[in-house]
Amino acid sequence: MVDERFVAGLHCGEVRADLTEHLDGRLSGERALRIDEHLDGCDGCRQLADEVSAIVRALRELPDEPLDPEVEARLLAALGNEEPEPFG
Amino acid sequence: MVDPDDVRISDETLVGRVAAGDHHAFCRLVRRHQAAVYRFARAAARAGEEPGEILRETFLAARRSAARFRDEPSARPWLLALARQAIDRRQPRQAETDALPLRELAQAAAGPGSPGWDGALASSAIVAAALAALPVDDREILTLCDREYLTLEEAARVTGHSIAAVQTRLHRARLRLLAELKERGRGG
Repeated sequence: MVDERFVAGLHCGEVRADLTEHLDGRLSGERALRIDEHLDGCDGCRQLADEVSAIVRALRELPDEPLDPEVEARLLAALGNEEPEPFG
Repeated sequence: MVDPDDVRISDETLVGRVAAGDHHAFCRLVRRHQAAVYRFARAAARAGEEPGEILRETFLAARRSAARFRDEPSARPWLLALARQAIDRRQPRQAETDALPLRELAQAAAGPGSPGWDGALASSAIVAAALAALPVDDREILTLCDREYLTLEEAARVTGHSIAAVQTRLHRARLRLLAELKERGRGG
């Protein structure tokens, strides 16, 4: 169970609802500042923010694997067999 | 293999040539985006749907509708929107309900994982498996925004949702992925 605290004028629930917007830099300056103040004084929310950031980094670092050659061969065969429609 | 000429031709130019019937340009467009479209098709397709078929339908639709491509720096959001339409034609989406209140979702995500669970973040295989275990809507939005780097506006166009809805879905999906990884750590 995570404690609900009231830090820097915000409840943890409010901060956690806005975390993605905050981490993506989409909140207004004043709102972002208040959330930063909350995160500075609330270990639980700071940890969650760090973990969500780590998740996003991990997703972005997933390798962009090339298309399986078999899938590519089937695709190219299918596309090559379909005549382009005349452009009108 | 990267074609050295490829990077010098913009998507906008390529699609324009495709619209004029240039098959070589079409093949270039396919090579440039096929892996991303396939990744998205795998993420957003429902069980039993074949991502390779969605890939094929996407590029056939792209060739048919190239003349309607709006001038954009990248064709990727447009292609992913075509892929989404191909998926929806096969099985229209139900109006989904995310019954779990955000507060409970955040609680689950903020809970302690097993000791060292975060070591899993360094393993692309574990992260990919956790992503694959999520509901389709979560997989879709995470793939669009956090793997393919679409903006919220672009993701909204692909999915047909409002920007606000995309923002909420992205947040919930990230929390669910975090909870999933912590749960896996507990189990392992």
